[in-house]
Amino acid sequence: MRSISKLFIFMLLILMSMMVFAVSSKDYVIVGTTDKFTSLDPAKAYEYLSVNLLQNIMTGLVTYVPGTTQIVPALADKWEISQDGLTYTFYLKKGLKFSNGDPINAQAFKFAFDRVIKLGQDPSFLLSDVVKETKVINDTTFEIDLKYPFAPFINILAFTVAYPVDPKVYPADQVYNGMPVSSGPYIVKRWVRDVEMELAPNPNYYGEPAKTPTILIKLYQDANSLYLALLSGEIDLAYRTLLPQQFAQLQQNDKFVTYVGQSPFMRFIVFNVKQDPFGNAKIREALAYAVNRHEIENKIFAGQVKPLYTMIPAGIWGSMNVMPSQDIAKSVSILQSLGYSKDKPLNITLWYTPSHYGSTEADLALTLKNQFESTGLIKCNVNYAEWATYIDYWNKGVMGMFLLGWYPDYFDPDDFVWPFLQSSASPLMGSNYSNPMMDQLLTDARLVSDEPGRTALYGAVQKLMAQDVPYIPLFQGEQQIAAKPEVGGVVLDPVQIFRYYLLYKK
Amino acid sequence: MIFILLTVVFVILRILPGNPVTAMLGPKAPPEVVKSMEAQLGLDKPIIVQFGDYIANILRGNFGNSTVTTLPVIQELEDRFPATLELTIFSMIIAVVIGIFFGSFAASHYGRAIDVTARIYSIFVYSMPVFWFGIMLQLVFGVWLKVLPVSGRASPFMTPNNLYTGLYTLDAILNGQWDVLYDAILHLILPSVTLGVVISSIFVRMVRSNVLLSLSSQYVISARSRGVKERKILYSHALKNAMIPILTIMGLQFALLLGGAVLTETTFSWPGIGSYLVERIRYRDFPAIQGAVVFFALFVVAVSILIDIINAWMDPRVRY
Repeated sequence: MRSISKLFIFMLLILMSMMVFAVSSKDYVIVGTTDKFTSLDPAKAYEYLSVNLLQNIMTGLVTYVPGTTQIVPALADKWEISQDGLTYTFYLKKGLKFSNGDPINAQAFKFAFDRVIKLGQDPSFLLSDVVKETKVINDTTFEIDLKYPFAPFINILAFTVAYPVDPKVYPADQVYNGMPVSSGPYIVKRWVRDVEMELAPNPNYYGEPAKTPTILIKLYQDANSLYLALLSGEIDLAYRTLLPQQFAQLQQNDKFVTYVGQSPFMRFIVFNVKQDPFGNAKIREALAYAVNRHEIENKIFAGQVKPLYTMIPAGIWGSMNVMPSQDIAKSVSILQSLGYSKDKPLNITLWYTPSHYGSTEADLALTLKNQFESTGLIKCNVNYAEWATYIDYWNKGVMGMFLLGWYPDYFDPDDFVWPFLQSSASPLMGSNYSNPMMDQLLTDARLVSDEPGRTALYGAVQKLMAQDVPYIPLFQGEQQIAAKPEVGGVVLDPVQIFRYYLLYKK
Repeated sequence: MIFILLTVVFVILRILPGNPVTAMLGPKAPPEVVKSMEAQLGLDKPIIVQFGDYIANILRGNFGNSTVTTLPVIQELEDRFPATLELTIFSMIIAVVIGIFFGSFAASHYGRAIDVTARIYSIFVYSMPVFWFGIMLQLVFGVWLKVLPVSGRASPFMTPNNLYTGLYTLDAILNGQWDVLYDAILHLILPSVTLGVVISSIFVRMVRSNVLLSLSSQYVISARSRGVKERKILYSHALKNAMIPILTIMGLQFALLLGGAVLTETTFSWPGIGSYLVERIRYRDFPAIQGAVVFFALFVVAVSILIDIINAWMDPRVRY
């Protein structure tokens, strides 16, 4: 009797495991990530995964061609910019519909833009800083009037903050936390907060339909869990963010395919020029000469970052290498000319934050410390604070020299220099740098609308930055994906929009 | 006690450097946006006013809204709590089973190899970091042997159709989805074994010493003299009486279990209140952190009351 019940249990287990594996098919792709998303309302979404999900379930007036930084019409058919650069008129495609069947028209755009500005949430400043008013000319014609001419404005319109929302569903006076109404290739079919999200094709999408019927996005707590999930076959693809060593191991593993692409994410040192001794440009210059970016690239990141010699990263037009490579002799001679010696070294403190930029951060700070001290004339202390405290410290000017990172909101050189170098913006970055000549160059570059003219101005901006050294650019990140070989359609584009709707299983 | 805890958590959060608005918005938000957000969240009011508002709201059962998601904290905790409850129940079962069998077996073989093994086991397991043990189990059973899932509560497309309790195992039974039940149990094995084994060390030691004490008591000696079988003496006489202090300890262990749950949930991407707490500390999400801590405290209090009731039921000397 006992052996019969054992046999029965055994058979039941086999049957159930068959049922578990019967779900596997080519109809879905499972994406794993350590990122978190907090809101899928375009008026609030600001951190990477929230924005990236919106880029797959919604779309705006314009968008980027996959794999490039080229802007093309999306929901708009075409657009016109007035001579003075103050009025943008968009002519929408006809018959556009949200996933619930409601029309996507000029009224929906006006509602969305006005709502973003009224709600004043995280990304609202991108519109409120520059948009004076919005007008509905007719159902398919939408006009935006600017406060001042702003050449990169079209790039802002490609960002999620400028996506239309359904006025019948999204409340005008508060953030919407319900199921998103889609205008993009996918709809959200199911959503278990902080666990997973299931996407299904949007039947009302105007463009080419999504390649896979179901995308499942699974959220992991940390890189180790993500790595183990990929190795155990639980997910098809891991995107953001594995540790450098884990990715290097996957590159050697023939059971997985790895993809590497350029990323606009960059890391740099900030000098608070109001704090001694960093008010002295010569000291900042001496420190810049002491930095060896190749050592950082290879020793800490296993070759998975690219050295950066300017504040405009490669892949963004106008980028020009202006900062010097390591030259210890030059650094020593500057420090000696300032009166520093082995007996009377320059005392500085470098700050970092231990987890926000990954577990490699302490190594990065220690490597920089060693590089500075290799001059023999610098004594560098290293100090750290957890992220929330770190932000507080830099706002209060506690830190004189600290590590920071930047991921752009819009893909124009302006977003890599204005927030750092313009005198009214630099205090927010903790730098307090101010140079009237720099302000003039930056303002001129916003007013000029032709690319060659702007390229020349951004060239001058970068040269002046290299001269004043309010920041030391260190390296530019890489986008990395590790996937099972049967996953196709992986496109890593320079604007870092990861497109789930192109993924499929071979 | 809960009021003291509320006050301590509230004050600590305000003393720590770090503003929830800047932690959330990052470096890019202009000061006007930061100011208006602070006003929206009531952070511009004097601390004493904030505290008064907070206590008044808690008394009305309102934990406030998360500064990160803008959702009511109580709703987020309700979403997360079943995962933590399911994990703690299974871990407790594992810990108690290991504790009772290993502990009483060690006591009945006092001074022999099994007793020494039990003592070494409890010291070793107690000193073992939860996350390390979790990662080792993931590596062996998830990656090398590929027999158990390494993270989460369910495989893709394997969540219960209707959620009645939020406990996937129970909901799967109520829905009659046996494949989902099997999948949920598979997902529970590694995290609950991790947590259960670590907690079991205390039980093994407690059961062992209490059973030893019982075994040397008068009633056991008289039972032996009456010729009662050793097995019956151990399980029906000694263990039953030894269980009374153990139950009390079990209640106290619940607090430790929840502490361990924070680490276990992080290691296994288990979407419970522990991982929620860790995540929101990063954002300085005051209402969420306060809510989660209070929730934990209420949970421990509720379990303590439950244990007292069971104690009264088991021990005829206790009467309320």
